[in-house]
Amino acid sequence: MQESQNALYSEDSNFKRYFKQLKFSLRDPVLMVSVISVTIIVALFIVIPLFSILRESVEESGKFTLQSYFAIFRSSYDLEIIWNTIKLGIVVASLGTAVAFLFAYATTYLKIPNKKFFKVLSILPMISPPFVISLAAILLFGRSGLITYKLFGVRNDIYGFWGLALTQVLSFFPIGYLMLTNLLQNIDPSVEEAAQALGSNQSRVFRTVTIPLMLPGLANAALLIFIQSLADFGNAIVIGGNFTTMAVQIYQQGIGSYDMQGATALAVVLLMISVLAFYLQNSVIGKKSYITVTGKASKQRVLNANKKVTIPVYVVCMAISVTVVSMYLLVPYGAFVRLWGVDFSFTTRWITYVFTIGMRYIKDTTVLAAMATPISAIMGIVAAYLIVRKEFPGKKALEWSILMAIALPGTVLGLGYVLTYNTPPLILTGTGFILVVALVIRSMPIGTRSAIAALKQIDPSIEEAASICGAGSHKVFLSVTIPLIRPVFFSGLVYSFIRGMTLVSTIIFLVSARWQMLTVAIMNQVDQGLYGAANAYCLVLIAIVGGVMLLMSLFVRTLGINLNEGY
Amino acid sequence: MKKSIALLFIMVLIVAMTPVFAQGAQERPQTLTVYVGLLEEHGAAICQAFEKATGIKTQYVRMSGGEIYARIRAESQNPQASVWYGGGSLTFIEADNNGLLEHYISPNAAIIDDKFKDPNGAWTGIYSGYLGFYADGDWLKRNNVEMPRTWNDLLNPVFRGEIVMAHPGSSSTAYNMLTTILQLQGEEKGWEYLVRLNENIRQYTKSGSAGGRMVQLRETALTIGYLHDAVAFKREGYEHIVIAAPEDGTGYEIGAVGIIKGAPQLEAAKKFVDFVLTAEAQEIGQTVNALQFLTNPNARPPKEVESIKDTKLIDQDDAWSGANRSAFLNKFNQLTRTAPPN
Repeated sequence: MQESQNALYSEDSNFKRYFKQLKFSLRDPVLMVSVISVTIIVALFIVIPLFSILRESVEESGKFTLQSYFAIFRSSYDLEIIWNTIKLGIVVASLGTAVAFLFAYATTYLKIPNKKFFKVLSILPMISPPFVISLAAILLFGRSGLITYKLFGVRNDIYGFWGLALTQVLSFFPIGYLMLTNLLQNIDPSVEEAAQALGSNQSRVFRTVTIPLMLPGLANAALLIFIQSLADFGNAIVIGGNFTTMAVQIYQQGIGSYDMQGATALAVVLLMISVLAFYLQNSVIGKKSYITVTGKASKQRVLNANKKVTIPVYVVCMAISVTVVSMYLLVPYGAFVRLWGVDFSFTTRWITYVFTIGMRYIKDTTVLAAMATPISAIMGIVAAYLIVRKEFPGKKALEWSILMAIALPGTVLGLGYVLTYNTPPLILTGTGFILVVALVIRSMPIGTRSAIAALKQIDPSIEEAASICGAGSHKVFLSVTIPLIRPVFFSGLVYSFIRGMTLVSTIIFLVSARWQMLTVAIMNQVDQGLYGAANAYCLVLIAIVGGVMLLMSLFVRTLGINLNEGY
Repeated sequence: MKKSIALLFIMVLIVAMTPVFAQGAQERPQTLTVYVGLLEEHGAAICQAFEKATGIKTQYVRMSGGEIYARIRAESQNPQASVWYGGGSLTFIEADNNGLLEHYISPNAAIIDDKFKDPNGAWTGIYSGYLGFYADGDWLKRNNVEMPRTWNDLLNPVFRGEIVMAHPGSSSTAYNMLTTILQLQGEEKGWEYLVRLNENIRQYTKSGSAGGRMVQLRETALTIGYLHDAVAFKREGYEHIVIAAPEDGTGYEIGAVGIIKGAPQLEAAKKFVDFVLTAEAQEIGQTVNALQFLTNPNARPPKEVESIKDTKLIDQDDAWSGANRSAFLNKFNQLTRTAPPN
């Protein structure tokens, strides 16, 4: 409907409308300042580096050429890799979203025991560089795996499609979980109770009320998991085996075969796939309305205790949790045994190593991640607010640019930074600043996506009411919007910090002699087969993240935000 | 109240952040920065020793050889580091062809064999490592198989699905093996051999060291790689690993050092190159489990690799290997159908 109306506008009146919006912005300085600053950051650290990469892919000794792109679409090998990547992305996105929803539903809707355990477990896989999971999968389920071989005597070849799919699902479902719990908590129980009062049974309520209300969230979660699976390099390189994905091929071609032009061209193709996925998601889901929070006082949800639902859900959640736990138990275990696979006697050698040689990595990483955290959480919310609630020229471009920052494989984005910011007018390489920027840009888009999903659930009339009563833009944002979506803000903080501590590929070209990152050190150890030191690093990393999460939740609680409260 | 706490929190963070922006920019010109393509500990030990010997403050960043090359290329307008220390000579040759290296012939390079250095001084060899096989000894015992002694022994059907090697397209180790075979057996027979070997290969890994890690964890029976890596695993305590150098001759890698074009610390970089070519500096490697052969004839090689020091080496033609790289890789991909399965 809206679309057909838009189509009636002529070019001219379109322009007038933009002009009107711009004038409106001038009347609202806070809005304008935030639009401008978000735009500048996005332009500097997403759009311009992207442009550098694009230029690298079409330039050969100063001349324009599309040679690399032709090469990709002529090579059956490259086409097969592209198909592999998409297939993997679809499988991982569907399974990952399903697992995420199951956990989110179980912890918010069902009356089951061990909820705290599930809550912790479902974010655990985020708190470590992703290759910890693939390594653990090999050690547990590989040909000499503790479970497959030692326990069942099966010589299982974990390398390949299913091994990779398993590790990616486990690595990426937590993001979906965080997003979906926030949304489920935001659904007013009275909506569902009304359906029940009108005679619907539980499964009908689930099918016709809960799921439709969750659609934008589910689609968003699936999109995020899909894109992350596409860009994932850490798992794919460790456990992919003969199954090659685009992110790995980009690395191989650019770093292994010195063919940066071909590699960047492939990266641009990868980016296009992500953009296409985003476009499809947007055009299918984006136009419908899913408002549930309308400002009315609501009550505590009556949890579903129906055994036919709770028992199977509990069993599945438990099985996944136990798998995750057993993977993570390998970390402290590996950190304290003398030699993985050979000598399982106790030693503090690796921990000592980490706190001597590794100390500078630990310090730098914590400092940089702590800085990036508030910036990316705040920016994520502000950007989402602008995108969902405000009208200003270039809004769509802003939304798309932010999404692109996660769609690029990290190595390529890092390379884009080096290409762009190693020469005047702006030299940033070698500073801690560029690392903070990389961390912010890599985690902010996810905060933005989940805040967008949350904001779409909230009726704008609440904010409009405040606005009519005389509150300015910033007042509405701070005292109405933020309180309504504070769990999203909190999980954005947590996520940014975790991401900051565990990001690998983007920063490999950005670490300098002065500023080092822990994950790079872990990757070096894994590369050399020194699992003891790698595990000890991971243990320290997990301990730091755990400690900071605890502090953050205490801090948030003193601010009066109760994370478990419903609306 | 709550809001002011939050505001305070943000302000404290912003103030705390200012040194980050300042420090990185300030510190750069005063110290020598080295990109290290070796083990982390090796880089740390060398930089420390150099600092002690000359008083020049030295810092390093550890990356793989290919990553160093990509980074130097990206930074070529404004180089961030002065020295590239460690990594295969083929990568150095590629960098030199793209004009990324400063030429410097160190006086200490005079005693180093010509085959271990570039005549124009673009790079100088610091160590060499031999290609060979290493296997899970327990697996061999269980299956009653002798450790392979020649390249042809690898074709034994008992190894079907048990050999893991890196893909020549992504790993310089594997590409070295490919050209070794072609040089050793002639092109026609060499390709035939690779096709037959392909039947026994379970997986082509991306990285040259991955196969070794799989033998280390008993994920596979046998791999082809640089023997000094295997010896290092053994010394760590992985005693089930058995090594062998092919008796019919094998290829080798040269680890090199070079100065980056436009090095911000050119004089210090030259001193660094002089230093790492000395016998004392080369012997540091053994103390941190880097067990390659050394290029300085006066340096004492690690005793762990003595058993393979008389391995027959082929007359390796790196220029030929480099020039034919894409043709060979294309042919390899076609012949082995290493398009991914599934």
